[in-house]
Amino acid sequence: MSELILQALYSGVLQGGSYALIALGLALVFGTMKVINLAHGELVLLAAYMAYMVESKLGLSPLFAIPLALVLVCTCAVLVYFLVSLIRKDRELNSLILTYGIGIILTNAVLLIWSADVRSTSSAWFQDAVVVGPFYSMRSELLFFVVASVLMAGLWWWLSRSWYGRAVRAVSSNRDAAKLMGINPRTTEIVSFVVAGILASFAGVAIFSYGVIQPAFGHALTVKAFIITVLAGIGSIPGVMVGGLLLGIAEALTVTLASSALQELVGMALFLLVLFLMPNGLFGAKARRG
Amino acid sequence: MDWNCIIRSKLKLAALALSLTAGVASAEELLVGAEIPLTGSLARVGSGMNEGISVAVEVFNKTNGKHTIKVITADDESAPAKAIAAVEKLAGQGVVAITGGYGSNNIGPASDAANKLGLPYITSGGVDDSLTERGIKTFFRINNTAGYRKAMVGLLADMKVKSASVIYSTKEATADLAKDVQKELTATGMTVGMHAFDPAITDFKPIINKIRLQDKSEVILMAGYENDYVGILRAAKVLKPDVKAMIGVWSLATPKMVADFPDLMPSVYGTALLPFPAEFKSADGKLFADAYKKLYNKEPDYLGQFGYVQSMILFEAIARAADKGTLKKGGVAEELAKTDRETLIGRVRFNDKGDNINFVHRMGQHQNGKIAIVWPSDAATGKMNFPGVPW
Amino acid sequence: MYVSKTGLAVIAAAYVAVPLLLGSNNYVMSLIVAAMIIGGIALAWALLGNLGGMVSFGHSAFFGVGAYVSALLTMKAGMPIFAAMLLGGVGAVVASLVMLPVLRLKGPYFALAILAYAHIFKIIATEWSSVTGGSAGLASVPRFPELMGFDLSGKTGSYLIILTVLLAFVAAYRAIRASHYGIALRAMHDSEDATRVVGVNSTLLKALMLFVSAFMTGVVGAFNVHYINFLEPDYAFSGLWVTLPIVAAIFGGYRTILGPLVGAVTVYLVDQLIFKSLIPSGHQLVLGALLVAMIIFSPGGLMPLLRKDSRRKHAAA
Repeated sequence: MSELILQALYSGVLQGGSYALIALGLALVFGTMKVINLAHGELVLLAAYMAYMVESKLGLSPLFAIPLALVLVCTCAVLVYFLVSLIRKDRELNSLILTYGIGIILTNAVLLIWSADVRSTSSAWFQDAVVVGPFYSMRSELLFFVVASVLMAGLWWWLSRSWYGRAVRAVSSNRDAAKLMGINPRTTEIVSFVVAGILASFAGVAIFSYGVIQPAFGHALTVKAFIITVLAGIGSIPGVMVGGLLLGIAEALTVTLASSALQELVGMALFLLVLFLMPNGLFGAKARRG
Repeated sequence: MDWNCIIRSKLKLAALALSLTAGVASAEELLVGAEIPLTGSLARVGSGMNEGISVAVEVFNKTNGKHTIKVITADDESAPAKAIAAVEKLAGQGVVAITGGYGSNNIGPASDAANKLGLPYITSGGVDDSLTERGIKTFFRINNTAGYRKAMVGLLADMKVKSASVIYSTKEATADLAKDVQKELTATGMTVGMHAFDPAITDFKPIINKIRLQDKSEVILMAGYENDYVGILRAAKVLKPDVKAMIGVWSLATPKMVADFPDLMPSVYGTALLPFPAEFKSADGKLFADAYKKLYNKEPDYLGQFGYVQSMILFEAIARAADKGTLKKGGVAEELAKTDRETLIGRVRFNDKGDNINFVHRMGQHQNGKIAIVWPSDAATGKMNFPGVPW
Repeated sequence: MYVSKTGLAVIAAAYVAVPLLLGSNNYVMSLIVAAMIIGGIALAWALLGNLGGMVSFGHSAFFGVGAYVSALLTMKAGMPIFAAMLLGGVGAVVASLVMLPVLRLKGPYFALAILAYAHIFKIIATEWSSVTGGSAGLASVPRFPELMGFDLSGKTGSYLIILTVLLAFVAAYRAIRASHYGIALRAMHDSEDATRVVGVNSTLLKALMLFVSAFMTGVVGAFNVHYINFLEPDYAFSGLWVTLPIVAAIFGGYRTILGPLVGAVTVYLVDQLIFKSLIPSGHQLVLGALLVAMIIFSPGGLMPLLRKDSRRKHAAA
């Protein structure tokens, strides 16, 4: 039994790493702009399809898709930003509907271009087993967990040290005060969208390398990302990381201890529970200050 | 497209009428409706079936000589309300019967609508027993859950295993099949572990690990779809449970899987009508394969074969009814009920509920980038590689 | 209640002219009924947005619960269909009760929490198979009965039922909007603080609007299940019942009463008859683009836009 639980924890942690990567982009944009980008999952999916293109058309490793994905996804992210900034009134709610519409456009564009077929990497190198003691995983899972950790650590450092990073945090905690201090909120908003695009690019390539992609997959990613954002509480980067791991572990443990049919239920239940009991999230209290 | 289609068909009809008045005067073009999902969640399987229907038209028109069939296609977008609308639209265009349909939740309402309009409905896209339990006299289908169950259970009997773990999606067709198989296997004294999973799940390692450490079964049965198989097989390759075989159902022993996931497939079993590369021994099979190659320039898959068989049976029934002059008097359904014919999927005969009582699927196994039929023995094209797993 | 002459003429045309002119064409009637089902959800969705100030991405939860309650009551308890349909709406209200804690939260929280509910209900419907039939669903759900020799289960009968349901919704919506609750609610939309000063309990009012919206959506779900006669979790809680109503409501104007209905009929028919033939495998793309364009250029919907346009023309003339 303990062997089962250890493996479930391990699987959950690895899975949680990429959950957190996706959620971080969503949380960052929400922090600076108070906008939930419902097309965020579709941006991740777009990067995944870039990886598919690079592998199937050019015969290269999906890793080579990362530069291509960065360009495309960041461009799309900035486009989303400009569309959102065109909203004249009631931005908080209208942006939800707007980005929901963008999500529909992207899903169907993907369907038109790449058809409804199931895609995944055919590279055996990515899927080889890596065994560390009692822990089993695919090489790609471990690789991208490391990549995700490095990216998130880098982001944390950047947000707390660099001028732009501090500006992003300043705008997300108090827009008007930040303006008074000479920070242009528009710039920081664009920066946060671009960073979200960068994270989405890596996450997309990761998903293609260890999972399976389909055009309708993006929506589910957005929902997972939002669940984690709520678990974390707005504005807490370490919170998002822990939230991602928590969701991954909760899912894996549900499968192990109860039934795999209930895996999706646990995420939703966790989400609602946190919303009801601590609407500021598990780590949000600190961020709320100021 | 709809109007275009009508206009084009009208033009073709006119052209045909002209050419016919000059030549033989007895032939008439018979309209058949195809209601299939070409978009939405079932788009992939729907287009597969659609290819089979087109091939059937091609073959029928070439071989029959007397009657000409023309198919009008309507997309049901994988949604019940639109499936009803599609059937009604086709009825409005004067079709004498409907072929197609995918997913029991679309087929149910669509065939209900067809029944109300007096149109026979034949399908291979829904295996749910509730479809045949309705007692509709105009509903026919050539495959069913029982046929898939018989194939899986039969293969296990050949393997002489004592325990199995079933991993199945909570979707309708897969859950039905899994429970049927469980019932039958436990009745023969086997130990069966059941593992249902939500269709949204992507990481199967925790499930496989449970089987590896707790169930310790001899074989793993998988009832899912392509994305599920890929996930399950990958997880199994990582954890390497001590099993003797990985056995799936539809969409697994297919040329597409051979091409897309070569390293995951070795020794994996799945239902398959024909080996790959296909060898067609019967005359019917050769006609099918040639027409398929001509139209689509690729290897026929099982969806195309089912679509072809269901449509051929329907077209022949329509031709017989037309000969007897009962086309508008419910003759097509009567003739369909009398069907008794050898086909690509074996002998087809309907019971009074419209179910094909003879349907038994075959099991194929991935072997060296090919697919060999390994069950039942009288249809086998290769020897079962047992025990054997992809790792 | 005041109904204008044009209004009466439109209602009369809907009851008499449509069945007489189109009743024999099953295909067109199916499209119209399907569009009206979307219209009903769109109306309920817009009510929540207009009076409650909330955006929902989970109305499929109410639609599905209404459908299951009504289907099960008629199948297992032998209840008459129309009573069961109303109880389907009540079931959706009960389902919305668990959503009350989220009402305190603003903006995206409610919108996405309700989406989580839709997911949860779907999983429950799948897993609780002893009652719901599990993923295999319910087949042969009773159809509408005959009434004085007239078969209500036919296309025209179903059309008349949904038309009546929608008219009742419109009347209820108008009554709510005209009541002092409605006035308070609209004031709340402009400034929540202001209403609190005046002494209106905004959370309670929002909750009432959520119940009304859930009830309407549940009744429409119940209508749909007796019309289609088949139900399974994937279908009952499908995203279909979210996307199209939102597009319809935004397109028609979610701050108006008739906008969502007009939007639904327009969007559905144009989508089915035109877009579908232009882009067979991705015509929803156009719906997404429409949504984006509406939010940016005319978040109030097409109806106000047209009105503005005609006013401009008048001014020019």
